[in-house]
Amino acid sequence: MSTSKVGYDDTYDLQSKRLSIKKPDVRYDKQGEMTDDERVHKAMVHFAKDFGTTAAAYLDSCIHCGMCADACHYYVATGDPKYTPIWKLEPFKQAYKREASPFAFFYRLFGLKKKVTVEELEEWQHLLYDSCTVCGRCSLICPMGIDVASLVSTARHGMFKAGLVPHELHAVAERAEIDGSPLGVTKTVFADRLEWMEDEHEVDINIDKEQADILVVMSSIEIQKYPDSMAATAKILNAAGEDWTFRTDGFEATNFGMLSGNLDWQRDMSMRVINAAVKIGAKLVLLPECGHAYMALRWMGGNMYGKPLPFKVQHVSEYLADALNSGKIKVRKVDKSVTFHDPCQVSRRGGATRAPREIFKHLGVELRELPNGGDYNWCCGGGGGVVTIHRADELRYKVFKLKMEQVEATEAEALYSSCANCRQTFDDCQSHYKWDYTAESLLELVADSLQEDAA
Amino acid sequence: MSRTQTLGEILQARGVSRRGFMKYCATTASLLALPPSMVPRIAHALEHARRPSVIWLSFQECTGCTESLTRSASPTLEGLIFDSISLDYHHTLQAASGDAAEAARHAAMEENMGNYLVLVDGSVPLGNPGFSTIAGISNYDMLVETVGGAAAVVAIGSCAAFGGIPGADPNPTGAAAIQDLVTDKPVVNVPGCPPIPMVITAVLTQFLTFGQLPELDKHGRPVAFFGQTIHDRCYRRPFYEQGLFAETFDDEGARKGWCLYKLGCKGPITYNACATMKWNQGTSFPIESGHPCLGCSEPDFWDKGGFYNPVSTASLGGGAALAGAAAAGVALGAAAAALSRRRQARTIKEG
Amino acid sequence: MDLLEFARGPALQLSIYVLLAGSIWRVLGIALLQSKPDYSEPRQAGGLGGALKVIWSRAFTAPAFKKATMYSKTLGYTLHIGLFVTIFFFVPHILFFKGIFGVSWPGLPNSAIFFVGVITVGVALALLIRRMTHPVLRLISNFDDYFSWFVTILPVATGLIIPIRFGVRYETLLAIHILSVALLLVWLPFSKLAHTFLIFMSRGTTGAILVRRGAKT
Repeated sequence: MSTSKVGYDDTYDLQSKRLSIKKPDVRYDKQGEMTDDERVHKAMVHFAKDFGTTAAAYLDSCIHCGMCADACHYYVATGDPKYTPIWKLEPFKQAYKREASPFAFFYRLFGLKKKVTVEELEEWQHLLYDSCTVCGRCSLICPMGIDVASLVSTARHGMFKAGLVPHELHAVAERAEIDGSPLGVTKTVFADRLEWMEDEHEVDINIDKEQADILVVMSSIEIQKYPDSMAATAKILNAAGEDWTFRTDGFEATNFGMLSGNLDWQRDMSMRVINAAVKIGAKLVLLPECGHAYMALRWMGGNMYGKPLPFKVQHVSEYLADALNSGKIKVRKVDKSVTFHDPCQVSRRGGATRAPREIFKHLGVELRELPNGGDYNWCCGGGGGVVTIHRADELRYKVFKLKMEQVEATEAEALYSSCANCRQTFDDCQSHYKWDYTAESLLELVADSLQEDAA
Repeated sequence: MSRTQTLGEILQARGVSRRGFMKYCATTASLLALPPSMVPRIAHALEHARRPSVIWLSFQECTGCTESLTRSASPTLEGLIFDSISLDYHHTLQAASGDAAEAARHAAMEENMGNYLVLVDGSVPLGNPGFSTIAGISNYDMLVETVGGAAAVVAIGSCAAFGGIPGADPNPTGAAAIQDLVTDKPVVNVPGCPPIPMVITAVLTQFLTFGQLPELDKHGRPVAFFGQTIHDRCYRRPFYEQGLFAETFDDEGARKGWCLYKLGCKGPITYNACATMKWNQGTSFPIESGHPCLGCSEPDFWDKGGFYNPVSTASLGGGAALAGAAAAGVALGAAAAALSRRRQARTIKEG
Repeated sequence: MDLLEFARGPALQLSIYVLLAGSIWRVLGIALLQSKPDYSEPRQAGGLGGALKVIWSRAFTAPAFKKATMYSKTLGYTLHIGLFVTIFFFVPHILFFKGIFGVSWPGLPNSAIFFVGVITVGVALALLIRRMTHPVLRLISNFDDYFSWFVTILPVATGLIIPIRFGVRYETLLAIHILSVALLLVWLPFSKLAHTFLIFMSRGTTGAILVRRGAKT
């Protein structure tokens, strides 16, 4: 099914003259039994689908200033120029110029832009998947205002159809499509673990109500690794007196279709949640502590649905901020110094940066912002599907050094975040480096600090 | 005046002092960029010069060049020199007319075959020989006939040198410059509209002294007088550098004598001696009088974009052409997008 | 017709037509491609307001990126400002624009323009050296980058040579200068120099989308 070559050499020839595409070393996984030509063809077809006016405005405007590299944790941590964000898009950009740009006809006629080759696509797999978390810092630094990060997501569409996805990422995405969860959480597993949490925490958990105002979804990472989050969510919603439910026919917040680049699977995964929400007449879908889930449903859900969603979508941090502000829930003061790691997809890319700060205000902690934190925060290095790719672990540990520096500068007692994938990445790196910190859950902090006697 | 008298004898008879004469020779040497050691040679040559025969042909001209030469408040040495050349044929100055005048021209040609100078002002109409005739002879025929035995030809004024105002767009008479019609004799151009009189006399003096014509630039003009631009010798140049310009003809800048670039001065691209030698014995020149240089010693100066348009303006073919270009852009852009969309759709369908 | 008349006449005219047609071609070729509607619920209004916001704000470096980009941004801004000043505040140029658009404005003394021009060329050389030596730029740079550099600096350099002269005739130097401008105008819409107008499209697109989300811009 899938093949992979493990281990690669990072040396890179910068000495020879170049006025054309440079190729990084070969390193690729392949899915399916397609010939090379078929792979190129599939990639071109699915690139072409995305060459609309938005992608064109971006791909036509790059002036090769190279500043995007200065924002990217991969380049900054390694000094390797192949991690320049716009360079990750080189085959995609060339394909655009050749196929759909204003001068495409003449580029083809005079052979000014070569056709993308299967070798290029293979070599770029590492750049498009292993070394991009779609964190969006590059999009902020670009003087031309190009949303480079979004283009990486887009380029992955073609890569997927060409069968050129890193095999672990492909595997979990396929599992999510078929089984409903990247980690194999079936309805039964889900229900079991909810029952377990109910007992463990003595909290009422609503499952499969026929009607409810709020549909709550969870990420498989939380379900399997951080199940306390489920209990914490239930505790808070109960205290707030909400009419809410989990649904076993629509519980998965993650969207590995989006992360791996399969638009059809992305739609399937979103529709499970949307259908469940519609079925129960939900007014709000409450997203858990997950980063890309927010991007997938809050900002792309309507486009998957083909029309505006008939319900609101909130990240749990947004819900908590609203609930605290309105007095629906109250918390005890927490006396410690904390710092906060903003999940890229929720804060910078999603627009919900303010919510955690409002929560911290209510908690009365001493909040020490990370240097270059908030909207400019360094990515944890595990998002965008990267944490699933084991050949990228060394690279991920390298970039994590930036995080450690950043957090240690605050000398805060604790580090919080509101994304389970960030949490998972922090845990893994904490173990690797024997680090003093790891990321704890903001949701669980609120749940633990809840004043349950507040009416 | 006897044709056999030398120039020296004539000057003496006229009461020109030896000193005054030597001063003239020294000035001329200096103007021709000749060393002081040349002065005695010039003096000797002029003193003993037999008055050479000069035939002046006037074609499509306004007589301004003659006016420039001869208009003077008091007799000048230039004027004297001119008197002292045997000017055997000149429409404005000669006493004879009709057949007598033509007979004088032929007599001068025969007597001085191969040695006379032909000075020409005005352009020659090639469109129709009837556009300009003298004694029933077309300009072109008279030119060809007269230069046949000439030693050299001097085209005086921009009309003779380059075609001038008759040659300006649309050139209805088919006016041609002398240098385009006379190819077998040396031709010197002394352009200007009109030229500075002293430039002409200096050219003649050079010829009289050395029997040859001065060093010429690519337009056939004496480099000594047409080697520098007005701009490079203009006394208002510091104002140009400082960015002080007259915007209109009676504003503060104009009154203060600021640079006239904005009012269309063609000084930067005009080669002449006006800024240094000036006019009317060094009285003034157009810029000093407050008017921008017209560039009148340059070829086609009438058609160089307008006297009052600054050198750095360009003509862009008007709004219609620009609208056409914009329309072309719209068409190409729409076509490119349509082509791309169709190509995308086809690729997707195939996939 | 001599070289100067050709440069000032047909050459410049043609180059302006090509600039106009090529620029519109490029913009429409992008703008008329397919665009998909966005059905997400906006956090706030995006659209034109968002576009204008980012067109403006992206000109300023965020504190988080200041250190990393200080060198290239300083050089880049100096280059652009130098170009702007030498093009739009030199009196003969102002008169050129007046001839086309009918409006004029005060200029700077020639010596000031010359000074700015020299700085501009110096900064451009520094940028070229950076592009040729910095590992990231060496990797991503192509013919367009180098040729566009050349085509942009040539008018400045040839313009500086005019007053210096080097024994060459003024008309010749002026003709070369104007021809170099014509080359620039012709190359602009088909190269990265088109960022002159594309910057509004790319920043604007990001602004319209991201401001709607309340995302960071």
